[in-house]
Amino acid sequence: MLEIPSLIWQKTKTSYIWRSLFRHGYPDSRKNQSLAVFTNVFLHLHPVKVRRHALAIPYTWCMGGLSFFLFLILTLTGTLLMFYYHPSVDGVYNAYTDIKDLETVVVFGQLLRNMHRWAAHGMVITVFLHMVRVFYTGSYKPPREFNWVIGTLLFFFTILLSYTGYLLPWDQLSFWAVTVGYEIARATPAIGDEFAFIFFGGFQLGPNALLRFYVLHVVGLPLTVGFLIAIHFWRIRKDGGITGPL
Amino acid sequence: MTTPRGPQPFAGQEKRLRLLAFVRQDSIVRVDKRVEDTAMVWPHLLVIEFIAAMLWSIGLFVIAAAFNAPLQDHASPDCTPNPSKAPWYLLNLQELLLHMDKGLAGVVVPTIWLTFMAAIPYIDRSREGVGIWFTSPNGLRVTIFAAVFATVGTFSLILLDAFLKAHGYIEFATEHFPGGKQLLPNYLIPIGVMLGLSFLLVLIVQRLYAANTREWMMAIFTGFVAVYVVLTVVGTSLRGPGMDLFAPWAVPATHQCLEPSK
Ligand code: HEM
Repeated sequence: MLEIPSLIWQKTKTSYIWRSLFRHGYPDSRKNQSLAVFTNVFLHLHPVKVRRHALAIPYTWCMGGLSFFLFLILTLTGTLLMFYYHPSVDGVYNAYTDIKDLETVVVFGQLLRNMHRWAAHGMVITVFLHMVRVFYTGSYKPPREFNWVIGTLLFFFTILLSYTGYLLPWDQLSFWAVTVGYEIARATPAIGDEFAFIFFGGFQLGPNALLRFYVLHVVGLPLTVGFLIAIHFWRIRKDGGITGPL
Repeated sequence: MTTPRGPQPFAGQEKRLRLLAFVRQDSIVRVDKRVEDTAMVWPHLLVIEFIAAMLWSIGLFVIAAAFNAPLQDHASPDCTPNPSKAPWYLLNLQELLLHMDKGLAGVVVPTIWLTFMAAIPYIDRSREGVGIWFTSPNGLRVTIFAAVFATVGTFSLILLDAFLKAHGYIEFATEHFPGGKQLLPNYLIPIGVMLGLSFLLVLIVQRLYAANTREWMMAIFTGFVAVYVVLTVVGTSLRGPGMDLFAPWAVPATHQCLEPSK
């Protein structure tokens, strides 16, 4: 009786299907541990070994990792939110009533919205703290100069992502908060009007602005940030892992 | 022809190895060579990542269950809340534009700042202190000094501005300054103050702490972080209707609809 589970496990592990999925045994030996990391598309972001120092939480505060974690959570919750959201100002299905429905009608809709909201605020904070950590540990120094530049872009786009998302509920809070930004954009020296017109789709915060912000928020900016993160991680590997005392 | 002893390369493998020999490892992967003390990623790093992801997921669930995201009335362009505030992470810019021209505060200063930030590694090119918090004890002293300098400075400037404006500064400038209330108060003075104080900070840390490039860079960056935080805090919790200054516990509620101005 008792050996049945282990028999099933044995059978599964040696089955044709299982072996087509995994090309290594259970990661309890050095060899299998290495294989587990570099034969897996997700894990192979990592090297097989890291410097012990890189594991120290007081060193990285885990802030880069947490930024990435929040980015994933935001992608997930954001995609779910998209099922319930129409980027329109009025009409039968419109942004505002969609959000109201999320709060009152959709099962777990409020929780979903809250998670997306607080994760977004959280990401602004973790990215900022990550930048502070990288700076004070001197981790922008050669050969990591360019990754720092990628980082500043990530900081900028993270804020822009948050800002474009802020308009989407189309309530008083979001409308007037984005109006503040709109006025600033129009005050850009020399090209203010053109800039505001392109970015907000007109000289008024209206349906065009909502649509533009929506497209940027769910497609343009996440893709941009995704690509930049990919480059960021790639460069961390190519620069020899994260820094540590020489 | 005699075959060499030992394991034979697969067909084609030999060639691949040769190709690699053209590209010096150094030119693809730039690693600071050092004595390695390594750990396997599986399990050591993955365990940490897994636990962190779990704890943060739980934390996020708890926060999301406890606090609802705000939702006010349907947007209406005819009803301006007083004050209208940007999201908190942009309130630093909104705070800044109370003190100077809008385009200067909202566009020019942040653009210059981001460009400068991106340029940091190209200005400070030393390799000194990589991987060490604050580089050295002296670096820590510089950082603390800059943090105090910038925090006190920013608060003082905000208070000074409020004080002057309460005592007819704008009217005075309109009448007596060349260029009226625009040129000096909105452009030249703020630009002068921002640049002047930055240079002053660098000068002081060079004199006081014999700061090298890395150290004065730390002073400037710390100054930025402190100003950023102070402006955010002031903008978020000290500004009430009319964007006037209030004590944090006495900020009046936002007027949901501004009276149409007569
Ligand atoms: C979406 C935003 C970002 C994500 C997801 C991210 C992610 C990461 C991760 C996971 C690491 C590994 C080490 C660690 O966790 O500290 C890292 C390292 C690094 N990050 Fe970021 N980062 C982001 C933004 C930034 C920003 C804003 C900067 C700087 C302006 C930056 C500069 C760097 C540099 C230079 C390294 C190498 C550090 C070292 O070698 O110690 N990153 N990043």
